[in-house]
Amino acid sequence: MRSQEKHRLVLCSAEELREGERRLFEVDGVEIGLIRAEGTCYAFRNSCPHQGVPMLYGSVVGTMLPSEPQEYVYGLHNEIIRCPLHGWEFNLKTGKALFSPQVSIKMYDAKEEDDEIVLYLDREPQQIVQKQFACAL
Amino acid sequence: MTTREKHNGLIDCDVHPVLSDFNELVPYLDESIQQYMNIGKFAKGALSKQNSGSFKFPASAYANPLPVPLRADAFPPNGDIPGSDPAFLASDLLDRCQTDYAILNIGHGTMSAFHNVEVAAKYTSAANDWLYDKWVKSDPRYRMTMEITPLDPALAVQEIERIGKRPEIVGINMHCVNIPLGKRHYWPIYEIAEAYNLPIVLHPDTEGTGEYAASFGVGPASTYMEWHTSLGLIGQRNVISLVCEGVFERFPNLKVNFIEYGFSWIAPTMWRMDKNWKALRHEVPWVKMLPSEYIRRNIRFGTQPIEEPARPKDLVELIQMIDAEHMLLFCSDYPHWDGDELDRAFLHFPKQLRHKVFYENPLASFRLQP
Repeated sequence: MRSQEKHRLVLCSAEELREGERRLFEVDGVEIGLIRAEGTCYAFRNSCPHQGVPMLYGSVVGTMLPSEPQEYVYGLHNEIIRCPLHGWEFNLKTGKALFSPQVSIKMYDAKEEDDEIVLYLDREPQQIVQKQFACAL
Repeated sequence: MTTREKHNGLIDCDVHPVLSDFNELVPYLDESIQQYMNIGKFAKGALSKQNSGSFKFPASAYANPLPVPLRADAFPPNGDIPGSDPAFLASDLLDRCQTDYAILNIGHGTMSAFHNVEVAAKYTSAANDWLYDKWVKSDPRYRMTMEITPLDPALAVQEIERIGKRPEIVGINMHCVNIPLGKRHYWPIYEIAEAYNLPIVLHPDTEGTGEYAASFGVGPASTYMEWHTSLGLIGQRNVISLVCEGVFERFPNLKVNFIEYGFSWIAPTMWRMDKNWKALRHEVPWVKMLPSEYIRRNIRFGTQPIEEPARPKDLVELIQMIDAEHMLLFCSDYPHWDGDELDRAFLHFPKQLRHKVFYENPLASFRLQP
């Protein structure tokens, strides 16, 4: 498994990340947002590629799928995070922006394993800090 | 250097023939409409100066303040109005410029925004037949756009079915009313236009002339100058509507040619639409690529009145900046006061761009090929 070759980092207990909750970590100077939506844990770089605002404040939502003119088709329920500033949509499963696969946020491999939330990183982390985070969402 | 040496083919996308007299339409109208319009045997001048007096053909409330509101060097020898004599226009414009095709857009006005749509539809059919018989048949270089009634798509489709397959008809001059161009109201017209390979042409005429005229966004202009300069707002609003409503997803081969609304404003319109779409695409999920891509694929712009920045080359820079070399259509607007002279208005355009604007783009944007 690819993730076995990576560096395993325990971020918190599963208890500490319940449905809809968010946590913010800094790993070697890079902010990583952690979120649980519909039971699934997602970790992503906490910066929108557009103007750099913290993605962890973004709404987790579904969206309208590409459709025929004048028809609305809802989908991807709670699989989208929207940038808190301009509303760009990113697919939490791929990191890709819905408007273009050329634009994305960096997603990290996050898992729930044995009641722990675990991150798999390419490089061995040296410094890990959990930062204060609160938002109204 | 002769004009011919300056170009290698010329299609003028905006030339204006006008009625000398509304009685020219009598052979094409039944008595009911003649009576309504006070022409033929029903002519009457009584009460014409009174409020709610005799019928008046809808005209703009914004009077051109120039001493001669058309180009004063274009009066035909018989002294009639510029644009009223097919033979004189052919020599004064087409021979002089060595024009291959001149696309005639009726220049004396329109009833497209008039409140009585039945009368407007019958007038429109008559005007189309007059244009075809008097003008198009008179010179093989003449082509025409046909007018329709945008307020009544069913009647518009009937008119297109009636004459739209004539090879001399190269586009549909739809005119602008107070329904944005993207609305489903128009889709039956777009469907047949696409099927007939006829572009939709939008040309100012209704603005300020009828009860269904489009507004200028904020409020009425005070002067002709304010009115004329604001026309670009109408073009901009309609481009936005066409893209956002998904017209070019439903009708991917439809062309919409904006004539005389200007074009440099399309650059910031593209930029703002693209930016907004990245954030708001879920509201228009049928818009599947950048709005600017639809604009480049489906929308074209007449060059006249050519925009004149302080450094003329800046206009070329802008055209190249937004990849619009294929989107511009040469228009003289003869015989209007704000027309452009072929050999002076495009001096700063590179030769290859001039050829595209003069010939290749019009050829690809109107139904000029079999």
